[in-house]
Amino acid sequence: MMNRLDHMPTLKIDGFRKIGFIYKKKKYYGVEGDTVATALYANGIRIFARSLKYHRPRGLYSLDGECSNTCMEVDNIPNVRCENTLLKEGMVIKEQNVKGSAENDMMSFIDKMDWMMPAGFYYNTMHKPASIWPIAMKQIRKAAGLGTLSPDFEMPGIYDEIFPTTDVCIIGGGPSGMMAAVAAAKKGLRVIIMEARPWLGGFFEYRSSQYKPGKDKGSQSLHDRALELDREVNALENIRVFTHTSMVGAYNNNLITGFQIGKESDLFDQRYIEIRAKSVVVATGCIERPLIFDNNERPGVMQIGCALRLANTYGLLPGQKAVFSIGHDLGLEAALELSSLGLNIELIADIREDGQNPELLQKLEDKNITLLKGWVACKANGKKRVKNVELSSIDGLASKTVSCDLIVASAGMTPVTGPVTIAQGKLKYDAHTGFFLADKLPEKIHVTGRLLGLDNPLSIETSGTIAGLQAALDCENCSIKEIGDIKKSLKNLPGPTRGTKLVTAPVKGRKSFICFDEDTTIKNIKQAIEKGFDVPELIKRFTSAGTGPGQGGIPGHNLPLYVAKYQALPDISIKPTTTRPPLVPTLLSTYAGTNHIMLKQTPMDKMQREDGGIFRNIGVWQRARYFSNDLTCKKEIENIRSNVGMLDASTLGKFRIHGPDALKALQRVFVSDMSKVQQGRMKYSAMCNDDGCVIDDGVITKLGENDYYFTTSTGRAGQTVEWIRYHTRYDKWNFHIVNLTDSMGVINLAGPNARKVLAKIVDMDISNEAFGFSEYKEFNIKDCIPVRAMRLGFVGELSYELHVPSSYMLSVWLMLKDAGKEFRIQNFGVEAQNVLRMEKCHIILGQESEQRTNLLDVGLEFLWDRTKADAKTIGAVALSQAEKDKDRFKLVGFKMEENGRAPHDGSLIVDEKVRGYVCTARDSFSLNEAVGMALVDGPLSKIGTRLEIYEDECNGKRIYGKVVEMPFYDPEGSRMKM
Amino acid sequence: MALTITCPVCGKRNGYEFKYGGEEKGPRPEEKDLNPQAWCEYVHMNKCVAGVQEEWWFHKDGCGSWFTILRDTTTNLEQEKKEAKK
Amino acid sequence: MKDIKRVSPVVLKSTPVKTENRNNWEIVMGYKGEGDGPYLIDLTHKQRFDYQDSNLGGQKPFNINIPEIPGNSVLDKKILMNRMNNTQASIYNFGKEDIAMPEDSGFTDVTEATLFVALVGKNIFSICEKLTSLDFLNPEKKAPFLFQGPFSHVPCQIVTLSKNLENHGLVLTCSRGYGRDMIHAILDAGKEFGLKPAGEERFNHFVSEL
Repeated sequence: MMNRLDHMPTLKIDGFRKIGFIYKKKKYYGVEGDTVATALYANGIRIFARSLKYHRPRGLYSLDGECSNTCMEVDNIPNVRCENTLLKEGMVIKEQNVKGSAENDMMSFIDKMDWMMPAGFYYNTMHKPASIWPIAMKQIRKAAGLGTLSPDFEMPGIYDEIFPTTDVCIIGGGPSGMMAAVAAAKKGLRVIIMEARPWLGGFFEYRSSQYKPGKDKGSQSLHDRALELDREVNALENIRVFTHTSMVGAYNNNLITGFQIGKESDLFDQRYIEIRAKSVVVATGCIERPLIFDNNERPGVMQIGCALRLANTYGLLPGQKAVFSIGHDLGLEAALELSSLGLNIELIADIREDGQNPELLQKLEDKNITLLKGWVACKANGKKRVKNVELSSIDGLASKTVSCDLIVASAGMTPVTGPVTIAQGKLKYDAHTGFFLADKLPEKIHVTGRLLGLDNPLSIETSGTIAGLQAALDCENCSIKEIGDIKKSLKNLPGPTRGTKLVTAPVKGRKSFICFDEDTTIKNIKQAIEKGFDVPELIKRFTSAGTGPGQGGIPGHNLPLYVAKYQALPDISIKPTTTRPPLVPTLLSTYAGTNHIMLKQTPMDKMQREDGGIFRNIGVWQRARYFSNDLTCKKEIENIRSNVGMLDASTLGKFRIHGPDALKALQRVFVSDMSKVQQGRMKYSAMCNDDGCVIDDGVITKLGENDYYFTTSTGRAGQTVEWIRYHTRYDKWNFHIVNLTDSMGVINLAGPNARKVLAKIVDMDISNEAFGFSEYKEFNIKDCIPVRAMRLGFVGELSYELHVPSSYMLSVWLMLKDAGKEFRIQNFGVEAQNVLRMEKCHIILGQESEQRTNLLDVGLEFLWDRTKADAKTIGAVALSQAEKDKDRFKLVGFKMEENGRAPHDGSLIVDEKVRGYVCTARDSFSLNEAVGMALVDGPLSKIGTRLEIYEDECNGKRIYGKVVEMPFYDPEGSRMKM
Repeated sequence: MALTITCPVCGKRNGYEFKYGGEEKGPRPEEKDLNPQAWCEYVHMNKCVAGVQEEWWFHKDGCGSWFTILRDTTTNLEQEKKEAKK
Repeated sequence: MKDIKRVSPVVLKSTPVKTENRNNWEIVMGYKGEGDGPYLIDLTHKQRFDYQDSNLGGQKPFNINIPEIPGNSVLDKKILMNRMNNTQASIYNFGKEDIAMPEDSGFTDVTEATLFVALVGKNIFSICEKLTSLDFLNPEKKAPFLFQGPFSHVPCQIVTLSKNLENHGLVLTCSRGYGRDMIHAILDAGKEFGLKPAGEERFNHFVSEL
């Protein structure tokens, strides 16, 4: 057992199981159950880090991570919230934002320079004279920010994600949350509880005071009651509990996001949780409202819950001699508990003159603990940690100094309203409790417990039951009457207690910090108000109070209270600042989650990789772009022009459309007259959008009566069904589409020897006479594999496009390779195809077109049938208009002058202004010159026009081409028809 | 991300399963004697209502149907309606 | 034919201990060390048909009534029929023997178009939860039922065959091209639950118990 208290039932540590870790290159030990912060505290570490701006020493303050005081570098990850991070064996922990060490920081002199840095000093000073900015920027960049990352840092860890659906989602696993969960679950609903701490119980869990004070109810402590509720929750199968899970976002229709920190036994370090709930209960409870006085963040100053939980949860006495300066009964209760655990309580200063629980007062008297009512801490003294505290009466008339090493300071309570705000709920100031409470809630969101201002344990629990039933009502599983009955019983229980409103001790506030993360003092707030900023939302931006990792956890409540008071406003109508997701700091890698990349492979993927294919991601597919490191693809191209090769064209969209109105649908979307599509022949056509801009092209054949097969471009396949259905959505036509894209792999067998290769594996006559250009045939290979074959000429040579059932593709591939062996058949990739088809001036949409390019611009007007007005062909109306415009872009072919090289794709065509751009251009091996296609202004499209080409980064040096006839290669088309 | 849409076939689903198809404007006009102005109005002009509008959605990750819903453009919440078109 | 064989896009790294040849497929009936579930089983070799007709309700393919409500499924004589929408149904043949597709032109054989796998055994819905927000455990959904929705970001058809605690099971189809990445995503998600590849026998047994 390591120097820990060991007898309390509330402890969450196992003092016999040591956990070793490295801190500042030395080995230390914590115990199982420790957080990084408590393990360091147990080892006497009091200064965890230095503050952002002034490099002030910072220590343990809240234990729930509401400020960046204990952000440290853990296992090379900066800004880890040590209070929320469980200690693991072998962790390496370093301080942040220090030059030297946190104990002796060479930058600590800055604390004395605060007069140079009033609120908004960046805005005010750094721009005059302008020349100072580059120098100042370098220095500020060095000083600003917490933690460092190397540029090649890779985030370690395993990140997971889950997307549960539930009826009721409860945020907060304290007493009211658990009661709500039980109430809803007993109505047969599915319930999820998200609890930020690693265990349920909320603020019952660590307290040993009586659950029902004053009543003869046995000796059940709040802690026992928490355990009892925990058991009740766990006994219900339809409640799912996520512990160590912070809620970070709330969106429309009750979408709740959060993340869970993995236990030692979990396979993940963190996991993103996205919950869709029918109803949401916010049961986040309270945190403490910080008390502001001079040096109120000096190590040795901490909140009540922090001091109490250090002892009760982690077995650590927070100090030796303590002074309490508090404004709430929890402070008195904690003083009593800590005193009985061995802490010397020098004095309790209570902000309140009256209203304390008489029972607690009696106990304090019994223990001889001095309580000064109407007193408050004014200043903590001690350079690096607290040595004594100056106290004063609230009116500032009397004062005294008490030596101590611990100041437990807390002005009051503050409900955690962040989830309400980010769910678009509205808050309103409540004068009785001094809280900002939920005023208008979105549909199907409920608040409970301390968010209603309640304080009494029974009231809190009852309100939880009500919230649970209200959520059940949202899910139509509960009656309004039932809720009414319980509401009545809540009326008989104690209501909200009066809260304190004091924000700061009577001090000037130069070193009184309202926001720890951003080093914002009370003085800064005053400066901002004096400059004319009057509402907290603006003051927050000017002083950056509440913009740090704590998301306003420290200043959130104090800022609007103080701003109202300082401006002498009659009531506190001032709104609190807005909180936004993520409510607590969330790692980007947590949001990224498992990050599965989903890409498609063709049935030839494996074979092509084995043959040395170099793959690229193209849309949703992975395709072989090259088959050697020669990115000009010279060999691949020459092989097709003179021999035979195989290309994987499986990514083409492939569709069957059938049914009585199939032809009508085709007439609607294709620009050609589709009634001319014949069985056994392929027809090339295109689709336009309503602006006449060409969006897709492909080939169609007729399989039978009211039955067609067509292809689309790779990129459009995913949208084809959507497109056809959209444009026929009013017509009630009877037709059906089947997406067969993935069901067939496509080999394009191309080159003058293609026929000889294919003939070896098929048992039919495939001579030019039997199977001519643009014909379609279905046949079986080896009486077994059904193949759809088309003779097309995209690359400008004799070629067969073979559509083969995907599962048979390997077999057909091997047969073709075997058959082609004597011709030295080769693979060719997408880039070689790109050059081959460019030489033929066959366009690829997206390359020879962009969003505004219409069918006429790319020279495909011959596809357009103007006689089918009844079909309401998409794009036809716009094309009739565009036809009259002679200035539109035109697709032209060009050759480079004086045997020059090809310009880069995308280069501009210019004269005094931009006149067009190069679509595709290559040094053609087939033609021995550089050729390409460009979209140019109509008047530049005449044959012989000189094109001035401006390349990116050409340094003003233009190159020149000349418009020539298209196509460049085999203009008669005899090679593909041979 | 948080928008939900009720598909007439699949029920209420996350908005990211769907693709937007524009405001409901009625069927395509007859092309005979259609003047270009009227055509442009139909294709390009939208009401851009701040409030409830009827609009088309496609269940792209699901059943693949086009349908209309009523959505309040100011809250991004769907409104119930009696008869959905298909 | 000897040199003709069919290949599934599903590649599982386990070692087969028993295989069967059917219709040019080499089907793994069992793997080494399958464990006690949950199991991932490749069914890509099993037949799938697409059936579309404007009057779907009046049809009775394979002598099975097509469910009236989209999203409902029926399993009869090892044939699973899923109503997809007003005019479309998908049909999966769980039997070992291929069945002849009806002559009706409304049918399309889509066996080749998709990847087809089953998840069988405990915790399979916890695995699904990591890959989709589809709510399999919605008490209003009675098995067998069809979901058409995203699974690991890819549109899928997923038919939950059983939600009985003893005998969880579902089948999933998605575009064949996603084979590698879908299997990777499922196995990755299933790692923490001990998901292992299993042979067809596990599935056949599961179906026979339904």
